Amino acid sequence: MKAGRKIGTADVMKEKLLETPDKRRTDGVSQWSIAWRRFKKNKAALAGLIIVGAIIFIALFSPIIARYPLNYLASFKEENKIRVPPSSKYWFGTDYIGRDVFSQIVYGAGNVLYVGFGAAAIAMILSITIGITSGYLGGLVDNILMRVTEIFLVIPFLLILLVFLRVAMTIAPSGVGGLTTVTLMIGLFSWAPNARIIRGEVLRVKQNEYIEAAVALGASKWRIMFRHVLPNVLHVIIVLTTLQIATAILVEAGVSFLGFGDPNSVTWGQQLQMASEAVKEAWWEGIFPGLFITLLVLGFNLLGNGLRDALDPRLRE
Amino acid sequence: MAPREILKIENLTTYFYTWAGVVKAVDGISLDVREGETLGLVGESGSGKSVTALSILRIVPMPGRIIGGKIIYKGENLLEKTEDEMQQIRGKEIAYISQDPATSLNPVFSIADQLTEVIRRHQNVTKEEALKKAIELFRLVEIADPEIKIWNYPHQLSGGMKQRIAIARALSCQPNLLLADEPTTNLDVTIQAQILELMKNLKKLGMSMILITHDMGVVAGVADRINVMYAGRVCEVASTKTIFRNPVHPYSRALLEAVSHVTVKRVQPKIIPGAIPNLISPPSGCRFHPRCDFAAAECAAVVPQLVEIEPEHYVACIRAKEFMENVKEVKL
Repeated sequence: MKAGRKIGTADVMKEKLLETPDKRRTDGVSQWSIAWRRFKKNKAALAGLIIVGAIIFIALFSPIIARYPLNYLASFKEENKIRVPPSSKYWFGTDYIGRDVFSQIVYGAGNVLYVGFGAAAIAMILSITIGITSGYLGGLVDNILMRVTEIFLVIPFLLILLVFLRVAMTIAPSGVGGLTTVTLMIGLFSWAPNARIIRGEVLRVKQNEYIEAAVALGASKWRIMFRHVLPNVLHVIIVLTTLQIATAILVEAGVSFLGFGDPNSVTWGQQLQMASEAVKEAWWEGIFPGLFITLLVLGFNLLGNGLRDALDPRLRE
Repeated sequence: MAPREILKIENLTTYFYTWAGVVKAVDGISLDVREGETLGLVGESGSGKSVTALSILRIVPMPGRIIGGKIIYKGENLLEKTEDEMQQIRGKEIAYISQDPATSLNPVFSIADQLTEVIRRHQNVTKEEALKKAIELFRLVEIADPEIKIWNYPHQLSGGMKQRIAIARALSCQPNLLLADEPTTNLDVTIQAQILELMKNLKKLGMSMILITHDMGVVAGVADRINVMYAGRVCEVASTKTIFRNPVHPYSRALLEAVSHVTVKRVQPKIIPGAIPNLISPPSGCRFHPRCDFAAAECAAVVPQLVEIEPEHYVACIRAKEFMENVKEVKL
């Protein structure tokens, strides 16, 4: 990112300047380091970070953590049995065709996170662009963009998503990009609320005198929007992103449960759908994927709330 | 040997189109700034001083619009320039210092970032050179330990320090004209004194300046000439000495009488009765007449024009001649 490059050079220069043998030197304390200090004190937020971190770890090292190969019909091939209850051999039991539920959950983690991060990235890019342009430029641009946003807000999100998914999945080449289609669809239909929130925050930020000062010093509109306004609404964006990831994961699970997901990818929602046929006989088949969905969404929510508390300047002591 | 004008405003009119009606914030003002001089723009809150400054840079906020007049800067009318050309002028040719130093710096960037940004925007230099220049500027505005302080963030600095940095940022590209909008209002008296001292030193750089303030003490110390404004119009223009010794317009006099004199006697400062008029429907004729002690009948009917009553002394009052003679009598 732009900011990263800038800091990099500045740091080098800082080093050079600080070579002077001055004992009184004090480093600049940025708002981010203050926020991190506050975040560390919040136990719930740390718990959220650990949960999310653990699931990312599982996703990264799934082949090592899983006990059986992907889609391996373990209990069916070895014992000619399906829906085996949890045991030391199959920690979370096996499913309707004898796959190890634990291993499938492990393999699904990556897919679930892919949808979560991917859909959130699409939704956030759209909502940041629309929110900032609309809020900063105002006038006619604002009017048009906000009416479009309102259209997206009033259409029943899940219903339209299901329709589009059904259409998209029939058009999409089978096997390839099924999950990507789901991700894209979720992203394209969930930016609207965030765009409004970001626009509201931009309206607040643009009243500040440092924006006026930037205009008076000859900065262009685009420079002000993305260099001066964006960093000042970043605290809102970070919080919204974590919550958006959680929402996307839930939506994917919901869509898959309803049978509109990608049948060729292992996700926790897909597991739930298959388990729903035999909830009474094989509770383990649904409980464990459900538990993981809950845990991951909870983790992202705790993280988001913690970040909000740490970043909101109004809550600063 | 008339001094050359760097900025000449003719008949500038800036209105704000609000829901309640059209606010005539600046209504046909004319003024000029000469090379190297500091022009004080004085008046109560709401008399159109800030809007004048914002109009010069063409950054009047919505719903304000410049609807007429000319702003001639170095022989070119700024109102005819494109937005791109204006961006080249803002900060480089004409710089602006806003009222509140606490909020005029962006909280998420270090001071080094904010200063080098402006320098690199208008000058073709590398990052290292820009940083060196920024540190030089810190020395110019008398900040101790510039190499260290420059890496600080705004919230780590005091109000006086922030205002110095805002001034440094405005000076970073050696502008020819500096618009200082009440640069000392939000500061402690001791810090005010330091900033004013600094502004006086800046005059030595040969820069022209418009100093906007309602503090007569501030203009007395810094300005060469004073432009008294009331309700969007210019009342009186003269050298600082003349305004303080021999004010003619009743509003200028009232302003000076409203200042308490610590050193002279225990005289109660005089309050100007009433408030600045509603600029949606301002009073007819001379806008000051409802509050003026000397108003005559025709004051409500005739709009007074700026008239040169003695060399370099302009007054917009129909009874100016009378007042001039009175003042001279008193002096004798």
